[in-house]
Amino acid sequence: MEILKIEFLKLRKKTRIWLGPILVFWLIMIAYPLTVELLQDRLQIGFFSVLWIAILISMMLATEDIFTEDYNDGSLEQTIIQESSFQVGIGLKVFVYWFLIGIPVSLLSFIFSFGTTQNFELSLPIFPLSLISSYIFLNIFVLGNSLSLNKGSVLGALVTMPIALPVLIVLGKGMTALQFDINFESFILLLLGSLSIIIVLIPIVVSYIIKAHLE
Amino acid sequence: MTDNSLIIANNISYKINENKLFHNLSFDIKGGRALHIKGKNGSGKSTLLRIILGITDPTKGSINSAASLQICYLGHKNALKNYLTMRDNIHLLQLNNHIKLNKYLDLIGLKKHLDVTVSSLSFGQQKKLALLRVFLNSSNLLILDEPFVGLDDDTHEQLTQFLSNELIEGKGLIFTSHIPCQIKSDLLELNN
Amino acid sequence: MIKKFIHQFASPKTFLLQVERSYSFIFFTSLCIYVFSIVWGLLFTPEDFVQGNSYRIMYLHVPASFLSQSLYIAMAVSSVTYLIWRVKLAAYLVIAIAPIGAMTTFIALISGSIWGIPTWGTWWQWDARITSTLILFIMYLGLISLHNSFSNYEKADKLLSWLVIVGAVNIPIIKKSVDWWSTLHQSASITLTEKPSIDPVMLYPLIGAIIGFFGLIVCLILMSSKNQIFIREKNKSWVKDYV
Repeated sequence: MEILKIEFLKLRKKTRIWLGPILVFWLIMIAYPLTVELLQDRLQIGFFSVLWIAILISMMLATEDIFTEDYNDGSLEQTIIQESSFQVGIGLKVFVYWFLIGIPVSLLSFIFSFGTTQNFELSLPIFPLSLISSYIFLNIFVLGNSLSLNKGSVLGALVTMPIALPVLIVLGKGMTALQFDINFESFILLLLGSLSIIIVLIPIVVSYIIKAHLE
Repeated sequence: MTDNSLIIANNISYKINENKLFHNLSFDIKGGRALHIKGKNGSGKSTLLRIILGITDPTKGSINSAASLQICYLGHKNALKNYLTMRDNIHLLQLNNHIKLNKYLDLIGLKKHLDVTVSSLSFGQQKKLALLRVFLNSSNLLILDEPFVGLDDDTHEQLTQFLSNELIEGKGLIFTSHIPCQIKSDLLELNN
Repeated sequence: MIKKFIHQFASPKTFLLQVERSYSFIFFTSLCIYVFSIVWGLLFTPEDFVQGNSYRIMYLHVPASFLSQSLYIAMAVSSVTYLIWRVKLAAYLVIAIAPIGAMTTFIALISGSIWGIPTWGTWWQWDARITSTLILFIMYLGLISLHNSFSNYEKADKLLSWLVIVGAVNIPIIKKSVDWWSTLHQSASITLTEKPSIDPVMLYPLIGAIIGFFGLIVCLILMSSKNQIFIREKNKSWVKDYV
């Protein structure tokens, strides 16, 4: 619990880190209708694709410097020496980021969906879908950022993008299922299943990667 | 492993990209003893400390540490968040012993700066703040990389005094320093 | 025990000597097999009933596609070997294979595109296999750029190995997810378990082409790992003697 408090304390003073990605998400969602002629039915065609891509990009930005500061000021070394399980610390850190960025973004997704489709039943499932997918994306990009620690976040995003693409495919498929009302729950379950594996595996792998960086 | 050895190094060697830093080093650290690692710049002092800490793996050889080992480490990087106030940083360091904390804050003269952000402190003041980690440690082995750099004479004296007391209490100490100091210690000199 | 065996067997020096000894044999044998199969396939097999002559590009396309994934698996195996047993040679192999894997994947994509024009009427389709091959190609590029961005070789090796392993876990997932898209690509004609759905007249030269191509790629990998050994062990006395 102490780790959670510490992470919150740090992020409270660094608004840019969590507000930035939320604003970028907002910006993309507002920019989208401006680039399409403002006819309601046309808007809806590409809306969900833009939504998922906006989530992907905001999560990519959210993880931009997730370890850089701790690496540069020596906090990571201290954490490793103390041996208070490093993996759990990483997992909690990702959780804090999701709590501060993923949840607001998911709420916004729901609001924008409802605003665009005017269809409550279609928009409501967008909330859990966004919650789960933003958490998955965060984990994936955290992996990328740990790999390219200190080398800029573009490289990290590039190397882990192939891992994020299948999630986009599943999300696209899921939306079709939702719109035609066929077997939508199975997509939620599939994403939840992947998330539960990722939540455990990524912090373990990331802890090894960070140790390799510190050597 | 003998009774009060904290760390034993067996024939450790280290190479980086095929450059040998040191070869077949063996030593052991007992409670109540200090080891002063000396050497030129780039001779591998910090690397040796990192190997002892277990952050870096030696190319050859091994480090055995006692089961009860608890390390307090202060390196070149001070692990301070310079956008936070001193108070928040102390909170981050999880220094919860308030009586001791107040005593040392008074001693090193930082008490009036508690609500100042670390970035506006001087280098020496930041170093002192980082040293709180050492002063309030609950470990049995202290590993310090150039602890005396940037300290004024008073604080230098206080730190020396503190470390000598810790040795008397039976803790181990490993440090590097090119600034002469009065701590009674064994010497390990690194030269390729 | 295993560790000792691997370390002895996989010393870069032993490896290099073995490569020297067998390289020309592998190279000429596979070159002969490949040329022979290609000539056979191009000149002495009949036209396809549906596709006409255009199907003959499969003598390049099929081996390349086959290898694009196999090479990734080879990298993953090497990565695991490196991380568990700290075998340096395995790390050299990983980075030696990466550019060659990228190349074969690229060949598979391009030759597939060319084949697509006469048969499907389009050179690109967001279809399951094509998409997963494209993602694989991006993965190879990511691996190469990751390794290139570090000057400390050992660190680069470790990070690369971890990424390769995570990527390997991801490959079946990519396949699964893109399989859900309706697909234009024909399913595999040759599998280990079922009777081939391709006419034997075309099958034999195809198998020959796969074997020959495989051998040639192995030669490329041997050369490229030899390069890696020279770069990485240039300060060792045996390399100086050797050169």
